[in-house]
Amino acid sequence: MLKLVPRDTDDEERFAPESPLTQDQLLSLVAQGDQAAFAQLYDQMAPRVLGLVRRLLRDHAQSEEVTQEIFLEIWQNATRYDSSKGGASTWIMTMSHRRAVDRVRASQSSRDRDTKIGIRDYDADYDNVSETVQTRIEHERVEKAMQRLTELQRQAVSLAYYGGYSHSEVATLLSVPIGTVKTRLRDGMIRLRDELGVAS
Amino acid sequence: MIDNKRPDADPATLTGAYALNALTPEQRESFEAGLGDSESLRHEVTELADTAVVLGLAVDPVDPPPALKASIMGLIASTPQLPPLVTRAPSSADASASVTDIASRQETVADARVQNPAPVAAPRETPASRKAQSRWFTKPAIVLAGVAAAVGLIAGGGVLVNTIGDANTQQVQADALAAITSADDSQQAAAAVDGGGTAKLVWSNSLGSSAVMVDGLAALDDGKVYELWYIDGDGARAAGTFTVGDSGATWRVLDGEMRAGDLVGVTVEPAGGSETPTTDPIVAIQSA
Repeated sequence: MLKLVPRDTDDEERFAPESPLTQDQLLSLVAQGDQAAFAQLYDQMAPRVLGLVRRLLRDHAQSEEVTQEIFLEIWQNATRYDSSKGGASTWIMTMSHRRAVDRVRASQSSRDRDTKIGIRDYDADYDNVSETVQTRIEHERVEKAMQRLTELQRQAVSLAYYGGYSHSEVATLLSVPIGTVKTRLRDGMIRLRDELGVAS
Repeated sequence: MIDNKRPDADPATLTGAYALNALTPEQRESFEAGLGDSESLRHEVTELADTAVVLGLAVDPVDPPPALKASIMGLIASTPQLPPLVTRAPSSADASASVTDIASRQETVADARVQNPAPVAAPRETPASRKAQSRWFTKPAIVLAGVAAAVGLIAGGGVLVNTIGDANTQQVQADALAAITSADDSQQAAAAVDGGGTAKLVWSNSLGSSAVMVDGLAALDDGKVYELWYIDGDGARAAGTFTVGDSGATWRVLDGEMRAGDLVGVTVEPAGGSETPTTDPIVAIQSA
């Protein structure tokens, strides 16, 4: 189900169809209380947010609940967003990951996760996954960069980011000392940063 | 293993774990505190946090059901935004804000670059009341702001589900609600409902459109629905039906065109709705 259009220009009805606003522009309108801009920002970001949250939580109903909380938080906190410190999507994805992790840890007892789930490839295996050319490219970039890590680095980073495990849990799961996990997480992320060309 | 001997919160070893949200809240706090004024450490944390975002963007998106959008739009329409953080003189503490904000920007201590000054409030408001209110409630065009502000339609962050129609309808409803609430002349008024509950009318005369949000209404027996009406000197025009679940809360955008000054009423009607009201309204709200 590869679509030929990026999500940003999806065929949603637009209030200003001639020139879709960027996420940064939309967020600054949201900061002024503009709910129509919020609806557009939601259309652009919700599939990303839900995709990420569901990757961590697995449970669809819970993931929708957390996604709702995240967008409510975006609405409430847009007034305090400082664009000089990063783009709107960075802000939203960072917040989303943290909220997903919070929920995973809060529902620790009920979570249906094990080492295998955490470690396995981060390919999604869901129905109604909507893939676009853009996300396919991002996916492949990350996959390629991940291949450049050592096995232990890759496992540690995957468990932490995609599994929502704390570094001490990662240490237990991988049967290595916690200090080793810290180093692997840091070295792995630095390697990924370099491979992905992320620089501030 | 060597670094097992290091203090648990030595920031230099934890930048990766921090960027990946792999710290407990306590560890996170102590990490942020321990960052001190190390510029290179801050730089590293920012870059690793941005790298984590790329990992997040690589996850396949999942299309949310339209009901989720409808629910969220209803929620934000009745949830105040936080007041922008107050500008204050730069201090050494502010200098430490730049990195930790990557992960917790909503807790930011404002620096001198607050781009969104507080909304202009009505003259009679005190600074304290202004701070307590949302932009929503301080929009100058809003009448009965006091009444509306007093009606919290959402209790405890609960879910306000739009129960109207299929997914497609919900999408249209959500965008229509957003258009009404963001219109320059958006206004609102609230009233108590006979038999319990509250109703809030949000409308825009320029759009000729309105939405009703209810909370605490009784669920009806099968075979009955709530019906909305636009009422003026010429009579009542049917404007759609709705039901409420156990939560007693829902909202919908009214069908048809609203005329300035219409009264909006709700009656209980047989399933499918009536062409003219067959019972007395349980609530009626005057638009202006």
